[in-house]
Amino acid sequence: MKTWRRHTLSGYSWLMLVFLYLPIAILVLYSFNDSRINATWNGFTWKWYVSLFDNRQVMQALMNSLSIGVISSVLATVLGTAASLAIKHYSLRWRNVVNGLIYLPIVIPEIMMGLALLVLFSQVHMELGKWTLIMAHVTFSMPYVMVIVSARLADMGKELEEAAQDLGATPWGTLRHVTLPLIMPGIVAGFLMSFTLSLDDFIISFFVAGPNSTTLPLYIYGLVKRGVSPEVNALSTLLIASTVLLVIIAELFRRKDSKNGQIHF
Amino acid sequence: MKRFKSMMIGALTAVLAVTAVGCSSSSEPEQQVLNIYSWADNFDLDVIKDFEQKYNVKVNYDVYGSNEEMLAKIQAGASGYDLIQPSDYMVATMIQLGLLEELNKENIPNMKNIVSTFKTPPFDKENKYSLVYTWGITGIAYNKKYVKETPTSWNDLWNEAYKGRVIMLNDPREVMGMALIKNGFSNSTTNKDELAKSFADLKKVLPSVMAFDTDNIKQKMIAEEAWIGTVWSGDAAIINGQNPDVEYVIPKEGATIWADTLAIPKGAKHKDLAEKFINYLMEPEVSVKNYESIGYSNPNEQAYPLHSEEYRANKMIFLDKADIARAEWLVDVGDTLQEYDRYWTEMKSGR
Repeated sequence: MKTWRRHTLSGYSWLMLVFLYLPIAILVLYSFNDSRINATWNGFTWKWYVSLFDNRQVMQALMNSLSIGVISSVLATVLGTAASLAIKHYSLRWRNVVNGLIYLPIVIPEIMMGLALLVLFSQVHMELGKWTLIMAHVTFSMPYVMVIVSARLADMGKELEEAAQDLGATPWGTLRHVTLPLIMPGIVAGFLMSFTLSLDDFIISFFVAGPNSTTLPLYIYGLVKRGVSPEVNALSTLLIASTVLLVIIAELFRRKDSKNGQIHF
Repeated sequence: MKRFKSMMIGALTAVLAVTAVGCSSSSEPEQQVLNIYSWADNFDLDVIKDFEQKYNVKVNYDVYGSNEEMLAKIQAGASGYDLIQPSDYMVATMIQLGLLEELNKENIPNMKNIVSTFKTPPFDKENKYSLVYTWGITGIAYNKKYVKETPTSWNDLWNEAYKGRVIMLNDPREVMGMALIKNGFSNSTTNKDELAKSFADLKKVLPSVMAFDTDNIKQKMIAEEAWIGTVWSGDAAIINGQNPDVEYVIPKEGATIWADTLAIPKGAKHKDLAEKFINYLMEPEVSVKNYESIGYSNPNEQAYPLHSEEYRANKMIFLDKADIARAEWLVDVGDTLQEYDRYWTEMKSGR
């Protein structure tokens, strides 16, 4: 009876994994396929990975994605961390309301947020392009940074900061030498999270992108009409690999974090 | 702590470097920029590079996946694009909405090279706002391994022998248009009886249809999952290149002809440069290079003798004059569009 149950459970787990990862495995597999169209398997080749790097458009899209990702996640991390600190340290009158409002963008459907941003930008006659994309990405990733950093701040408690100030540290000194080091794992995890979100985003980017700001997801989507070439499979493979890597790094930080201070978020 | 610090410093340096690069490329003062919003893979990238070098300009090429997407972006304003590529019916819509600039024909002397058929398309009769760039005809592609008798009529899609192996475009106007043409009507009819009759006929083929799928139609034909279907001529050429068993015919009843055009959105900042680029694309030598690379039909008559034997011998790209004459454009049907959509929904939900 016991072995039967164990077999069923492990079988089920494996089935779930297959369900989740089979499509990705196929995508990766076809990036090595020696045929222009993802229809039949013609043999193994590396050529799509090579021609990928000669494709100016793909490379441009990659550069756009990376630069927008880095800039927007740094901004989101700085602004988000500052906001978390402000909310924690100053008793705002409507703290709970403010808290709720800040997390709202996480649950608002992306398509509405994209539309809202597009309407805003065209109302203020801001030309669509890289900067509108960066602003939009900051908007949707900042709440994630705040969730992570606030959780970290809440678990930290007030005691250490109060102790530092009792011992004569200036507010700036307390922030610099006590608070920031303690919440740093949360900040780093928030940064990586926003970078990943920015790299993957399609819907919001679709609304606010302009000339010379096509990101990778937008470019790939555009290929649908003429048939997605294996170069895109190759690129997606690289993208998945780098996203996975980032998630693993973020997870390592989180683990380290929870081991040190029994903190979970 | 040290590690975090160095990481943060690293990240900041990266940002500065990236912004610096971004600034330096955008602040070069003299170089003009042409912003293109188009379909993916719609230009030979070398042609764009040649143009950039010849005129010392920079070309940005962004892509969209459907006409409606492009329309939404242009309608929202502040898009910043100088050159767009709406399809035939979308040109008509955009003219109506006042979203297109009139072309300055003095800047485009090469437009005389366009074959006469495309000088008077119904969606823009005098080429005031648009010029045909790529075009094709929706015909029947079939795999001769499974379809033994060469199809000659749309009726062959109704053949029971191909049950579950028929594929069609995922587009109400294209599919209803096909059924209308099969029954001897115009593909843009506004007559409700004609629509009803064609729809009743279309319902009979439904059990045979494996999918309505524009995006994967090439894959399914190449992989021989689909044996026969409604396919654009240019796509048929691509399929044939991968699977030589797939052939293409334009049925005797006629077919739907379509085009993607070159047009300039209202308020474009670099209109002159866009016209210069359009003119450049219509140089015979340039167009030969461009169209042989993207594999679609060239509307440039002066370029015909310059094309390679292989390109000219390809019946899916060099379409027969008689077939073009029999083909019909889809034109705006006004409020009747709701009827088309209603039938389409009924058909798809009935499956």
